[in-house]
Amino acid sequence: MSPCANCAPKTKILILDDEPIVGKRLKPAFQKAGYEVETFTDSASAMARVEEQVFDIVITDLKMEGTDGMHFLARVKELAPDTGVIVITGFATPESAKESFRKGAYDFVAKPFKLSDIVDTVRKLEERRRGGAG
Amino acid sequence: MNVIEGLKQFFRFGSPQPTLPFSVLFKKFRSVLERNNCILELMADMGDKLGGDYVFDRQYVVDISERVSDLVFKLISDLCVMNQCENVDLFIAFERINYEIQEELAGRRAFPLTRPAILLDELNSDLDDEAGNKFANLGDIRNTLGMPTMDGFVITTKAFFDFMSANGLPGYIEHSLAAWDKKDERAFDAICHEVRQRILKGTIPRHIVSNINAMLDILKARGNGGPLVFAVRSSAWGEDSEYSFAGQYESVLNVTRKGIPDAYRRVIAGTYAAEAWRYRLHRGYQESETAMAVGCQLMAEAEVSGAMYTYAPLPQQREAMVISAAWGLGPAVVGGEAESDTFILDRHPPHMVLSAETGHKVTKLVMDPSGGTVWVDVAGPLQDKPCLPEEYIQRLAQAAMMIESYYKHPQDVEWAFDGKGNLYILQSRPLNVRPNQPEDHRLNIEQATRSAQVLFSGKGSVVQGGVASGKVYVANEDDDLNDFPYGAILVAHYTSPKYSRVMRKARGILTDIGSPTGHMATLAREYRVPTVVNTGVATKVLKTGDEVTLDASQNVLYEGTIRELTQFEITQGEVFEESYEYRLLRRLFKKVSLLHLFDPSSEDFKASRCRTFHDITRFIHEKAVEKLIDLSENFQKYHDRTPKRLESVLPLGLMIIDVENGTSALPEAKTLKVDQIVSPPMKAFLEGLSESGMWETDPVSVDLGSFMSSFTRTFSSSLATPEKVGRNLAVISKEYMNLHLRLGYHFNILDAYIGDVLNDNYIYFRFLGGVSDFIRRSRRARFIAEVLERHDFLVEVHGDLIVGRLKKLPKERMVAKMKVLGGLVGYTRQLDVSMTSDAQVEFHLAEFMQRIQTITEVSHDVPMCELRTKD
Repeated sequence: MSPCANCAPKTKILILDDEPIVGKRLKPAFQKAGYEVETFTDSASAMARVEEQVFDIVITDLKMEGTDGMHFLARVKELAPDTGVIVITGFATPESAKESFRKGAYDFVAKPFKLSDIVDTVRKLEERRRGGAG
Repeated sequence: MNVIEGLKQFFRFGSPQPTLPFSVLFKKFRSVLERNNCILELMADMGDKLGGDYVFDRQYVVDISERVSDLVFKLISDLCVMNQCENVDLFIAFERINYEIQEELAGRRAFPLTRPAILLDELNSDLDDEAGNKFANLGDIRNTLGMPTMDGFVITTKAFFDFMSANGLPGYIEHSLAAWDKKDERAFDAICHEVRQRILKGTIPRHIVSNINAMLDILKARGNGGPLVFAVRSSAWGEDSEYSFAGQYESVLNVTRKGIPDAYRRVIAGTYAAEAWRYRLHRGYQESETAMAVGCQLMAEAEVSGAMYTYAPLPQQREAMVISAAWGLGPAVVGGEAESDTFILDRHPPHMVLSAETGHKVTKLVMDPSGGTVWVDVAGPLQDKPCLPEEYIQRLAQAAMMIESYYKHPQDVEWAFDGKGNLYILQSRPLNVRPNQPEDHRLNIEQATRSAQVLFSGKGSVVQGGVASGKVYVANEDDDLNDFPYGAILVAHYTSPKYSRVMRKARGILTDIGSPTGHMATLAREYRVPTVVNTGVATKVLKTGDEVTLDASQNVLYEGTIRELTQFEITQGEVFEESYEYRLLRRLFKKVSLLHLFDPSSEDFKASRCRTFHDITRFIHEKAVEKLIDLSENFQKYHDRTPKRLESVLPLGLMIIDVENGTSALPEAKTLKVDQIVSPPMKAFLEGLSESGMWETDPVSVDLGSFMSSFTRTFSSSLATPEKVGRNLAVISKEYMNLHLRLGYHFNILDAYIGDVLNDNYIYFRFLGGVSDFIRRSRRARFIAEVLERHDFLVEVHGDLIVGRLKKLPKERMVAKMKVLGGLVGYTRQLDVSMTSDAQVEFHLAEFMQRIQTITEVSHDVPMCELRTKD
């Protein structure tokens, strides 16, 4: 462990799910793992936030009121192609999975999922991003 | 022909003749089994989600409820075809349960208890709407955690609404508030005063009074004949929850039976004390959100009482807890009305006293013989004596920590010791502390977890989330656990119901092998002890005395004590177990999964008594089995296959119907030899039964007491003499077996498919025993459950009934498991009579495991499979 590990900027994660319980459960889990986390339950505020700030990783639900997750995913990738996006959904179909990957999602996770699995997925994504960057 | 057989024959005239071919009816029977299995899987899935390992949302709760409900409906339809009957009672039961579930999902709480008063024995935090937060929590402490509390009852919020309406108060309050300009404080005080006066003069409706009297009579009957005196306390909605309202509502102490109505009105009036009402308005509480339940508890004859914070809000003291104590009754300490003693202790076991400050306690509050309380002088020598000896401090610390770990939040506990040294928990409420600044906190947690050594992570299944630090205690198989240290982390090879003994002492549990739906898992969830099972490595990696931190929410085990992690856990805003979704799922889980119909021979075993989907499922399974046996025994001319009698050394009395290539015998043959059986599950089962040598041929001396107790139960399928073997039936095919085997007092059902496609393979085993007294039956159940769990079965035990399920293992392993079941059926045949002590369970377990091992060894090349494959 390098002495300056804490000087390095933390990986920033944005979580969007219209059911508050998802953000409530994920936030402390990612904080424990050393990430900086922001959670949103409505897509409009999340959209406004990604317009003003680049996140390293975005975790988004697909089916929500207002802007749907697919649209949000597309916009995130348009604004910052480097952002890794993980789609989480309770209505997983092969079509929605295919569409998500086509729009640039890194992974597609069906709800309910294990806390440890999603943290692992984020770790892998982070490694890949680091590998890609240098 | 004996009398019972004669009666059976007689009643058979009533059975309608089947109008469908046997093959169609048998297909329906298989469909019943499949759906039954699916329903049990879905229940286990709901149980898993409650463990805390998963992130689920409301949508999941909606979906799974729909799936279970759909399956149960189809299950009833299957039975209708099988027994050619409309089964109206079952459909009504189904609709009733389904309606309750829909109401819950729509956010309308189905209030099952709308009585004006409820005994403390019946309360838990699910009833917070009825009993208010304070007494709902006290219900958890008394009934779930099993801690000592004073007996009592609560006058519900329903009674509050009835009382208020009967006295025209809601309308009066609404008008007064509407007329108030929101500024004039004196006008507001006047409204408060008037409302309180009206309450104090109000009439308590008759149905409430008679309910209160009924409760008082129950308590009187339980008492020792002396006069009962009560503490009458507030338990409002929202009190003792996120907003504490601490000290704002009224309590009345030392109230006699006659004084209860007045004390009740006083506490209700306290709801509209100006301070409390302002506080509610300030917090944005609507008037419709105001409800006051009132608890009436027997008074503890307190010698010493006080309060305890499990997390001291003292900046200089990290990780400490604090006790304030004084002679006499609690308000002396809580209200800060007199000097008290202060003890500061280590939060970590063994909870060393870090500092003690003894106050000069000249007066104490005691019960006044003429009612109410009175201050009296403390005897000279006691004035400067610490009022808690070391032993009391330890007991108090352990009790308070148990409550904290249950609620996963620091607690403010009020307590009392009586003159005999009995400890009573009077109440417990969440303590609002933030041990560190949030920013520092996050930095700490990150540093702590990143620099800590991970011993293992992501292994096995989380049974109950949460964080626990402590010293490892590795339990050996024959460990009696008498020396299990308080606050240790239990590490064991297998999960076992015997660990329920240390559930209240253990901070956490880790096992190598075991199922997240077994006995022990259910208990760990009940007590909310952080638990991970089936890690595969726990006993290899850990030894007694190792200090570890288990983060069961994340499923990581760290070396050493990581205080930041424990701090982080107990200072989170919302505890998962208290979230709306968790509570919703738990309530639905109860409507789906609780089982009330255990005993088919009981009078209650009927469709109209089904209260949950599990009851319906269980009932249908029983009826379908009965029907299948009836069909095969009595309507042989409708069969399209000739049943064959199995010629075997063991007296099984087994008839076999081969539906498709299950034997090499000729279709018209009337007998069959063991070596003609092709069906792998049937073959393996019979091999296990004979090769294991477990078929006890020695005559077992009949224990008369045990035998006689069978006659206290009504006639049922499980009643027969030990020598007598019923007519047994197996339906088999090339890969399939369905077996009903009645041996002596035991009734086994096995349904299995073992082929080359791993994903199709499964075994369903059901054991129902009769005779014997309750204790022996439960020992037998423990024995069978342990054998099954040790062979990777998912096990459920409900009274006499044990269900074991196993899926998706390769053929070789499935065959080995069938042999185990063969051995088990043989071994248990006459086991009851020897189950004379708990030690016998361990003895038989060791004996069985050793004997079965030699015939069921599978090459290590055959891959092991996960306990359960998630789709």
